[in-house]
Amino acid sequence: MSEFDVELREVTKHFGDVVAVDRVSLAVERGTFLTLLGPSGCGKTTTLRMIGGFEYPDSGEIYIRGVPMGRTPPYRRDTSMVFQNYALFPHMSVAENIAYGLRERKVDKATIERRVEEMLRLVELEGFGKRRPRQLSGGQQQRVALARSLVIEPTVLLLDEPLGALDLKLRKQMQLELKRIQERVGITFIYVTHDQDEALTMSDRIAVMNRGRVEQYGSAEEIFERPRTRFVADFMGAENILDAEVVQADGRSALVRVAGAQLPVRGDGLQAGQRVALVARPYRVKLLEDPAHQDALWQATVQERVYKGSSVAYLLQLATGPQLRAEVLVGAGDGHAEPGRQVGVAIDPTHVVIVRE
Amino acid sequence: MASSPATAQMTTARAGRQLPTLLPVLATVGLPTLLLTLFLLLPLILVAVYSVYSTDPITGIMQPDFTLANYERIVSSPIYRKVFLRTLEIALLCTGIALLIAYPMAYTIGALVPRERQTLLLFLVIIPFWTSYIVRTYGWIGILQSGGFLESVLSLIPGVDAGLDVLYSRPAVIVGFVHVFLPLMILPIYASARNLDHRLIEASYDLGASPWRTFLRVTLPLTMPGVVAGATLFFIATFGAFVTPQLLGGTEDLMMGNVIADQFGEAFNWPFGAALSVVMILIVVLSLALLFRFADLESIYG
Repeated sequence: MSEFDVELREVTKHFGDVVAVDRVSLAVERGTFLTLLGPSGCGKTTTLRMIGGFEYPDSGEIYIRGVPMGRTPPYRRDTSMVFQNYALFPHMSVAENIAYGLRERKVDKATIERRVEEMLRLVELEGFGKRRPRQLSGGQQQRVALARSLVIEPTVLLLDEPLGALDLKLRKQMQLELKRIQERVGITFIYVTHDQDEALTMSDRIAVMNRGRVEQYGSAEEIFERPRTRFVADFMGAENILDAEVVQADGRSALVRVAGAQLPVRGDGLQAGQRVALVARPYRVKLLEDPAHQDALWQATVQERVYKGSSVAYLLQLATGPQLRAEVLVGAGDGHAEPGRQVGVAIDPTHVVIVRE
Repeated sequence: MASSPATAQMTTARAGRQLPTLLPVLATVGLPTLLLTLFLLLPLILVAVYSVYSTDPITGIMQPDFTLANYERIVSSPIYRKVFLRTLEIALLCTGIALLIAYPMAYTIGALVPRERQTLLLFLVIIPFWTSYIVRTYGWIGILQSGGFLESVLSLIPGVDAGLDVLYSRPAVIVGFVHVFLPLMILPIYASARNLDHRLIEASYDLGASPWRTFLRVTLPLTMPGVVAGATLFFIATFGAFVTPQLLGGTEDLMMGNVIADQFGEAFNWPFGAALSVVMILIVVLSLALLFRFADLESIYG
């Protein structure tokens, strides 16, 4: 048996002239919570639907536990999907909804009853078995959909933006609950969302998708801390993305020019003359009260100053063009300045990330 | 007494507020009520009243009376029971056959064809309704008669005995009914199929149900309201019809509609015709009441 629950090899899918999924390869280890993250139209839902068997790839192959799926229909796949709008059967009670897949598998009545009860307990809906789906709130319907899919013990659980219709507070709560349930049942979850916070909260692995391709695949921390492309950095909410150019490179480190200043950075495979972008989190940007300070890379004017309690957020206009956001802790001994003041700006080169265009 | 001017003022104020709301109420509830009374209730009452009248045995002229003789005649005569059972049989058989044709058509149009092309197909379903029922039925005579279209086509196939005798028989009546009233069944089923959420079908597949099992457990139950409505409309239309058996059937295919029409026409016995009509109406209403209780449409939507 394969160590991967799901593996995609060079999977491509067209809709008419549009390439929805473009040579996507992914390997998902058993028990992983994987998130396909990206803006609408990036191919994440199509990828999910292909794993579930609702669409078939034009080329490439999807393997589930090492078995090539080809054109296996959904009802012969060991996957289960939690749909965006839950898709609960309106003519059945909650218990009948959950029992649906078990009845199709010819499980005996007593076992079905016991399993349904277990599931209702797992999703904290004990006593709701006799209700109709439409008598439940959105969050409760969501949990019924989850129970209905989990009860058949799929190899992989597919979730298509399942929290999209819930309000923010409930969504936060359900994120943690989903994660808890996933850890308890130990099944591989593949979760589709466009919400980066959601992805960071729940995922063991994130695949950031853009225009049908996987831009970056890694742990939540890797994706957030070390984005590899400008798109990923932007999508993960990086506030400071500056155009840069590689001045010289020796394979392991490089010198880049950013807004007139030169900065030594780490960076594998960079080449002199290459156009890149520099990403720096606002809390990595230092503000120097003396514009002529020896550490200052740039001179800047303070445009905005927003007091946020534990820190102060600054918007800095560099003398050489671009703007930079800085977040300085209150009382950390770092520099502060009033709007309109001239200041020096520094970045610790070990904390910047160089991304490709 | 001191309070009376105030009370009067309040009353006029209230009347003043009520007046503008009265008009829309009259227009929305009053008008339909009036129309229903004029064109449905009144004729029904008239029929009910006629059914207890008697006719002069010599002149045949209808006389205001109160007699149950007409009803006694219906209950005591085996002929009418036979015709009634035949009518029921033909109507049920046609409803069954129509269902087999209408369901796939309506489901295809409503659930499988893209929305923008549905209008055209529905249009094609409705077009025959623009032609007179009688003309469409006459069309079948041309097709089914000996030496007609069907026979010419069949004679092209070698080894087929061309001398089929379909016209003026039960199959001709069934074909006529199914063709003429099919749109009545297609439209309600189409409406149900169109409202069916396709994701429910995907969810069913996803949970391991084959297409056939999905049809039985999801598609059919969720389109059942359309099926019941369509079958009811079709059944009622067939049950009371008299033109189709008249034109396409033989003497062994006459239905209640024909018997009633004869009483109002040739026999000129309006009271007896009216009594037969009342019995028909009661039977239809009672069986519908039973059906709707049995089908329990409420439970489908819970």
